[in-house]
Amino acid sequence: MQNLFRGFRDEIKTLLEPLLPDKYFSYQTLLLLSLFSLLVATAVESTGDDNPWAVTLLTNLSWIFFVTTVWWALEEHPIKVYGFSISPWITGAVLCLFLFKPWVSDTRFRWALTCWPLISTGVLALPKFVDWELKLKNRSKSTNKTLVMTTLINLLLSSWILFHFRVQDWVNNYPSLLVGSFDRSAFVYDFERGREQQSQGVPLLEEIAAEVTEELNDQPWYQTERWLYTRRSRLETITRRAKESLDARNEGDFWQVEVPRELRPIEDGYFLDLFANWTGPTSRDGSFYVQKTCRILPTDRPRAVLPQTGTDATQTDEPPPTSRSTVVDCGELAVQRQGESQQASQGER
Amino acid sequence: MEYEPILPIRTIVFQILFLMVAIVIEAGILRQRLRLGFQTSVQYALVTNLATVVAGWIVFLVVEPLASASIREQIISYVLFDNLLVSGWTTRTGFLLFVCAIFVFFLAFFIKAKGLEFMLRADDTWKFLAPRNKKPVSRDDRYAKARGGASLTQASIPNFTDTVIQANAASFSVILLLLLLRAVAEEWTL
Repeated sequence: MQNLFRGFRDEIKTLLEPLLPDKYFSYQTLLLLSLFSLLVATAVESTGDDNPWAVTLLTNLSWIFFVTTVWWALEEHPIKVYGFSISPWITGAVLCLFLFKPWVSDTRFRWALTCWPLISTGVLALPKFVDWELKLKNRSKSTNKTLVMTTLINLLLSSWILFHFRVQDWVNNYPSLLVGSFDRSAFVYDFERGREQQSQGVPLLEEIAAEVTEELNDQPWYQTERWLYTRRSRLETITRRAKESLDARNEGDFWQVEVPRELRPIEDGYFLDLFANWTGPTSRDGSFYVQKTCRILPTDRPRAVLPQTGTDATQTDEPPPTSRSTVVDCGELAVQRQGESQQASQGER
Repeated sequence: MEYEPILPIRTIVFQILFLMVAIVIEAGILRQRLRLGFQTSVQYALVTNLATVVAGWIVFLVVEPLASASIREQIISYVLFDNLLVSGWTTRTGFLLFVCAIFVFFLAFFIKAKGLEFMLRADDTWKFLAPRNKKPVSRDDRYAKARGGASLTQASIPNFTDTVIQANAASFSVILLLLLLRAVAEEWTL
């Protein structure tokens, strides 16, 4: 038992060995300070007293100690890739985490990632400008040149990161761009193969169809015919509203909704063909459109009539009193198709 | 915000490739015409080209959000789909692209010339290169020049601006050639 206990203690000792300082002036001391500040901060917070100021101060102190620890430790044991020390970039990453707290929001995340190369350059350059007593150093010409080169390379890295975010913004603002394939692009590579992106034209047409249904359903047939006669202006208003309700509203300008010139008659009613053409950027011969058809039919509904006393009248040849009202059926989901819509190829622009 | 797994890998690869090509060509020309050392000329070419590229990125990143919707549409189309002709090739787009190309060329030239001058000054080699910093050319020299043969001193001082514009033109031409080859290869494979 005693033996086991001792063995356990030795085990812990070897585990803690790298954390415990040999001398006081070392990075392990700073690490312990950082952990201590964090501990005190949690202790203060858990007492329940409302003291945000102290907690903030202590956590910030902890962060500062931690950043310094990382810097110092990497200074003593540099991490090298092909003989080139990447320590400043690691310290820079930790410093960015402290300065920007990128987990809070997307903007902060972007700032952190964009500034990372520049802050790392600062970390790299600082010891070359000042010594431990914060006095200005004289730099040799070759150091200066290396510094200029590193700064430029890191600016280039930042530009690439910014460009990446710009592309992400485009894809987010105009999600229907993802319908095309990026294979030919000389700038970006799409890691998701065989992406089955549904363009926003589908929800757009669904929205329009829902509005049309709402406007026409159960309306008297003569009003529906009048509506259909003036469909151009009516659909324009509906389209404008539907575009505003899109998830990515910037895309509205790239969708061109066509008003059918001819209505296809069916039985007593009509087919209303709706087309939404994507006019934005696509891959070559990757143009597409979205189509949806609504059936607008009249039905005879018995008019709500007051029960009449004279039953003879109903038994004659006359049909029972009815009114023609409208049924709109936009059954199937809108379909996305490759190529140009027929309407567009007919020059209906 | 959700991020799509779309990364500008090709931008990075092409940029590194073109930078290397430009640096090799320009370093060769600088070495030959300015009589700089091998390492020095590579270093100068590297720094000037990096500065040019960074300036270009800054211009793009600043201009793109300010651009009008139609121009942004063209930019997106070109970047994502390698397709510059959304609404057909017009004289206006052609002219615009031409003006942009000329502007880019001269901006690159300006940055490279200034950067090179700055670095030469820092290395104290500028005074050996710039003839205007020397005392006026002697009468004999002018006479020799008029007679057709350049004097020894002048022969060793080739025109600095001339060199930079030559280096710039050479690297631009080769990169354009590479782009052209890429376009041809893409047409071929389709």
